[in-house]
Amino acid sequence: MTSLDIAHLEVSFGSKKVIDDLSLSLKEGEIAALLGPSGCGKTTLLRAIAGLIQPNSGTIRFGAQLVGLSSVVLPPHRRGIGYVPQQGALFPHLSVAKNIAFGLDKKSHSKAEIEKIVSEMLELISMTGFEESQPSEISGGQQTRVALARALAVKPKMVLLDEPFSALDAQLRGELRSDVVSLLRAAGTTAILVTHDREEALVSADRVVLMRDGKIAQHGTPEEVYEHPVSPTVAMSTGDALVLAGVRYADGRTSSAVHPLTGEALSGEIGEVVIRPEELHLSTTASSNSVEGTVVKIDYYGHDAMLEVKLQKNSQSINVRIAAPVDFVVGSVVHVQHSGPIRFFAKN
Amino acid sequence: MPTKIDVSSPRTPAAIGKGRSWREIALLAATALVVIFTLIPITYLAIRAFEKPLPEIFQLLFRDKTLEVVGRTTFLVLIVVAFNTIVGTILATGIFFVKLPFARYLIIPAILPLAIPSYVFTYTWLAIVPSLSGFFAASFILILTTMPYAVLATLIGLRRVDTGLIEVAQTLGLGRVQIFFRVIFPQIRLNISAGALLIGLYVMSDFGAVSLLNTETLTVSIQNMYKASYDRSAAAVIAMILILASAIFILLEERFKGSSKSSAIAKSYSVKTLLIEKISYRTTILALLTIYVALAVFAPFYVLISRFLGNPEPIEFSNLFSAALSTITVSGLGALIALLLSIPISIMNSKSEGAVARGAERIILISHALPGVVIGLALVSLGSKISALYQTTLLLAFAYSLLFLAKSVASTTASLKQVPTVLKDVAASLGKSSFRVATQVTLPLALPGIGLGALLVFLTAMKELPATLMLRPTGMETLATQIWSFASINRFNEAAPYALLLVLIAAVPTFLLSLPERLESQDRDTDQNRIRDLGESR
Repeated sequence: MTSLDIAHLEVSFGSKKVIDDLSLSLKEGEIAALLGPSGCGKTTLLRAIAGLIQPNSGTIRFGAQLVGLSSVVLPPHRRGIGYVPQQGALFPHLSVAKNIAFGLDKKSHSKAEIEKIVSEMLELISMTGFEESQPSEISGGQQTRVALARALAVKPKMVLLDEPFSALDAQLRGELRSDVVSLLRAAGTTAILVTHDREEALVSADRVVLMRDGKIAQHGTPEEVYEHPVSPTVAMSTGDALVLAGVRYADGRTSSAVHPLTGEALSGEIGEVVIRPEELHLSTTASSNSVEGTVVKIDYYGHDAMLEVKLQKNSQSINVRIAAPVDFVVGSVVHVQHSGPIRFFAKN
Repeated sequence: MPTKIDVSSPRTPAAIGKGRSWREIALLAATALVVIFTLIPITYLAIRAFEKPLPEIFQLLFRDKTLEVVGRTTFLVLIVVAFNTIVGTILATGIFFVKLPFARYLIIPAILPLAIPSYVFTYTWLAIVPSLSGFFAASFILILTTMPYAVLATLIGLRRVDTGLIEVAQTLGLGRVQIFFRVIFPQIRLNISAGALLIGLYVMSDFGAVSLLNTETLTVSIQNMYKASYDRSAAAVIAMILILASAIFILLEERFKGSSKSSAIAKSYSVKTLLIEKISYRTTILALLTIYVALAVFAPFYVLISRFLGNPEPIEFSNLFSAALSTITVSGLGALIALLLSIPISIMNSKSEGAVARGAERIILISHALPGVVIGLALVSLGSKISALYQTTLLLAFAYSLLFLAKSVASTTASLKQVPTVLKDVAASLGKSSFRVATQVTLPLALPGIGLGALLVFLTAMKELPATLMLRPTGMETLATQIWSFASINRFNEAAPYALLLVLIAAVPTFLLSLPERLESQDRDTDQNRIRDLGESR
């Protein structure tokens, strides 16, 4: 069953189109990551879904309910969404417990019910005992947790997270991210996570939505968008990618700097080949489909290393990721071999 | 989690859209009303001025006396602005960059004179040097009175100077003087000009000092014409000159303020490592500061306290009490009216940067540059036509609210703007209607700031003199009018208790302004307000 259905959405700020004819649908319980460079419209899309801005045209539906349609808009407070902005944004004048209870209607919930929900939520985010703490007294990571609890307390149809982890340091960020994702999965809530961190998008989401210039460049499962990018640009936005000039021949074969052509060449189409650095392998011995090069630089990361190899044939430099330990030194002569899908994009 | 879908939305989106625009229209109407209200006195004054036939207006404008007064006012403004801009900048830079004992608190005596109205300054100095009179005496008193504006404005700018740049300049081999002119000065130029403009406005609109020192400037002319002949049309013509000059000043300030927004926000490092320890610098700055504090703090307080204690006559406590009570009543009422009038514009300003909001704010700002004597003249003329208002406390309170409306709008807007939009968004997403968001989020967070703003208006209104003199109901005395009437007939002993009480009360906002924590806040928005706070403490 669909939970969110956006059709032909368009949002402009003045004469600038920020969202341009965008369509997207999500199933119930799915976690989607909106990934893109800053200024691509991902936060705007999130705010349009929340009802915080008014689209120029297009429709937004939650299930069967129409919530947004060009000139008419269901206001944010009637949409039943949970919104977690950057850095949590807790109400500074309210305690942790009161922040969590903020969205609970006092008419439909008794005092005891509210207290019960608050303590459940605190347990969920492992912060029992912090009821009376003020937002200024808790850490950044705890603030983000409370903000999430506040959003989940009202049992929203959907949770929207706008780069909630961006202000945190790397380690805390990773831990909190996995905690938050498990919380969302446990609650079975549909969620959209805005991020510019490609790793965060791939790790957390069921679906990755790549945005560029107000449009969706590609969307699919993390594996789909990583393994089968629709363009070299998309490939680079989900991870390191080598983009090499290539030719596709009429018989289906492809050649590039790391794909030597054996046999006779026929007429072909000029384009680009996209390779992930981890799909390249180095060896000291030559084989039929390898090319020779020299290691010119080693960036050592601990768990793996990125080697820059200068190819003998055309002096082109390519990056190769290999698992540690590194058995090569700068100056080593190596043979590079590609094993993996050949992603060819014809130049138009 | 099963999703419950509410297909039949209880309120149609169309109806919500309609409700919103109604609210906007109401806000717009309220803003327009306030703006019109603000403009009534000035418009009336203009009408009165043009009641005179045109040849007569020209005759009045170009007669020798008028030219002389305009010339004198201009020179007074130039002398005080030039002197204080230079000395104030040196003092502030010294306090900031030179290692001094109790550096954090040295600023308090340097800006404490803000609490002393110019007429109290004059009166205390007259008690020391009874022969004090004329243009240079007025320059001297106004230099003492307005020095804190220059010091504070510069200091606020210095807080934002990128100290990293100073370190870079040092490594590039620049000397101290070079660093000041090539690195620091360009970064604080806008603050210095803002301070200069405030001083200019103050001097132009001052009435108490110049009047007690027999220096006829535009404000004194207006008051004299009004009092002597009751020829209000002639007074209105002269008032128009003053309005024009103030408007030019305010537009200049707006220009500077606008361009200061574009300057990059500096990263702030501790200034401790940059402190100059050279003995010549330290003695120079300490000497300058000591001279200023002696002339502008010790001298007046010595007179106030010695005259208060040495007074052989018993203090008439009932008079003192009733003056204090009427001061509090009418200033409080004025602050309340100003707060109420500021609400629609502030809401509009805090929501959008739209053309209407900006236009309304600009008009209010121009009204804030109007000298008390002009507002006084306008309302006294207007009031005499409406018998229900003439000579009432309400009219005087209204004058205060007009004089300090810009201050109230600024503090209310700033307090509303300080509530982060994201909190309102979160509240809305949690099911709160815009009314609930306003009462449960915006108001609780903005209230302390709004309250402080109203308190500052209240305390500032207490010191107002020229409009009070013109508009107070017969028989009503405030602290300011009592000081003025005793001082103008050289009865310094009798004035002392009133002046002491007023200065103590006025010291409250000055103290709040000069608290190290407040000065050290890095927020640019508060900087703007702080400069405006200063502008209103006259």
